[in-house]
Amino acid sequence: MGQSPPVVLGRENSLCDPFTFLSSSSAFISGEGFRDEIAVEIVDYTAELPDECLAFVFQFLGPGDRNRCSLVCKRWFRVDGWSRHRLSLNAQSEIVSSLPSLFTRFDSVTKLALRCSRKSISLTDDALLTISIRCRNLTRLKLRGCREITDEGMSTFAKNSKKLRKLSCGSCMFGAKALNAVLDHCANLEELSVKRLRGIHDGAEPIGPGAAASSLKMICLKELVNGQSFAPLVLGSKNLKTVKIIHCLGDWDSVLQLIGNRNRNYKENLNCDINYGSSDSSRSPLMEIHLERLQVSDIGLSAISKCTKIENLHIVKTPECSNYGLVCVAENCKLLRKLHIDGWRTNRIGDEGLIAVAKHCSNLQELVLIGVNATHVSLSAIACNCSKLERLALCGSGTIGDTEIACIATKCMALKKLCIKGCPISDIAIEALGSGCPNLVKIKVRKCRGVSSDAGEWLREQRGSMLINMDACDTDCGFEASVSDIGVHETGEEVGQVTAVGASTSSNVEFELH
Amino acid sequence: MGSTSTKIKLRTSDQKVFEVEKAVAVHVIHVHSVSGDILSKILDYCKKHVNSAAGKEDISPEELYEWDANFVKVDQNTLFDLILAANCLKIESLLDLTCQTEIRTTFNIKNDYTIEAEEAVRRENKWAFDMLGV
Repeated sequence: MGQSPPVVLGRENSLCDPFTFLSSSSAFISGEGFRDEIAVEIVDYTAELPDECLAFVFQFLGPGDRNRCSLVCKRWFRVDGWSRHRLSLNAQSEIVSSLPSLFTRFDSVTKLALRCSRKSISLTDDALLTISIRCRNLTRLKLRGCREITDEGMSTFAKNSKKLRKLSCGSCMFGAKALNAVLDHCANLEELSVKRLRGIHDGAEPIGPGAAASSLKMICLKELVNGQSFAPLVLGSKNLKTVKIIHCLGDWDSVLQLIGNRNRNYKENLNCDINYGSSDSSRSPLMEIHLERLQVSDIGLSAISKCTKIENLHIVKTPECSNYGLVCVAENCKLLRKLHIDGWRTNRIGDEGLIAVAKHCSNLQELVLIGVNATHVSLSAIACNCSKLERLALCGSGTIGDTEIACIATKCMALKKLCIKGCPISDIAIEALGSGCPNLVKIKVRKCRGVSSDAGEWLREQRGSMLINMDACDTDCGFEASVSDIGVHETGEEVGQVTAVGASTSSNVEFELH
Repeated sequence: MGSTSTKIKLRTSDQKVFEVEKAVAVHVIHVHSVSGDILSKILDYCKKHVNSAAGKEDISPEELYEWDANFVKVDQNTLFDLILAANCLKIESLLDLTCQTEIRTTFNIKNDYTIEAEEAVRRENKWAFDMLGV
């Protein structure tokens, strides 16, 4: 990097003759007196590199850098063009005239994002049609704020996009008709994510699995007014593995009851004509359920407990859920590996529920407790009985103190990653960790007023190989502020990780713990 | 970082010019790695481009292009510093210019774009923007 560029005596066309190439480069490197004899030519050092190799290098670059590379020379422009499989476009209406040129240049796009800001008018159905014709191999589409796209537009798009596997739409105006069209035409659809879709209002037609009944594996519903209209979709998708319902209005206990009874023939449970296809009840069991900021009670949790194969469960900010529901889940879902609970400090979930988890869920690997008043009683039980526990996060709880941490330190043998945030622990807790948890590789302590910066230093000396992340905490930690509102993790702290600015869901903690 | 009595002019988006002490400016912009020399070059660049865009300076696109080409005729170290500073201060056009120059210099690649062709690609690139993942 520190070498100065070779003296350029004139702009000449590069010669691909290997001899010239070699002698030029040797003059450059060795600095011998060749300059008198050879007019140093501009020989592209990357000329010998096959296009595929150049494309491979580009793979490691983000879109901004790739854009810059495309301006280096025409060859790089070409190679970047055919090798860009992921494309994110500013989906304003003005883009329509550039679309033909864009998709001639980027002719191998399989993953496309169309994002339009709130302040702009988005592209229309016609533009989407153009895109669907030019991108015949699209497997993923993400739409954000494309408010001009209608049900008809999505329907036409779907007919041209048979290879679609993932669809994510947020802040768009189309509704159930559009989604049913997608589900009818995209028989390979595996993941569907729907957020703030204005067209899904009260009285919207139900959304059923259509042709995607066997392929759909993940459904995520977020900020919907009438998310319940997706019930037939959840129930009719035979191979569904993951359901996430986040901040959707209305009662969800009844839908969860249907989900719980999914493996039976439940045509008699629903008063509608949706045909679920075959009546065979050989359905793949649900593995992962996220419930967040929903009106769901212990009735819903008891219903979920019938999904006995569940491995990953998030119960976040659902104030009507109590220990009773958690006990029910624990007793029946013995295969639980990951459990996230955000009690929102309502104090309805605590030791009683967690003791049941300790008793029945011996496979537990990851536990996140936010705003849950757990004490050493339940933590001790978990530490002893959940011998596979590798990742633990404890946040925003007034009952997690030195005793609790000491308990974890002495008993959690398999623990690898620990995060403590906004809890009344002191340096004593850090001392306990210094000599406990033999397998701990990463620890993070944040907003714990009682912990001094010396403690962090001390811990570094004790456990040299451990990744330690502790804030100085001489700023106002606002212990009373709800930890779960600000989110458990912060940006840019993990070494080598790019994290998004924290939204207030506990799913961020899972991201961080990995 | 140089003497604290050196002043820097900062032009805000509403065209107000502030003359501030270097130390102050650094604190405000959170620029850790930009020396006075580099910052001053960058201000030259910004001034030139803002003036030409606002029509305050009578300069054709070709002349501006030439000016840019001369602007980046610096040694590798300076070029590298310019890249880091442009990245830090998020001056996209300067970042593009300096990165392309750096790449062409390092790999000895000839720029075979005409001015018009390059402009067309730049315009198109603006539609394919930098967002987190698809």
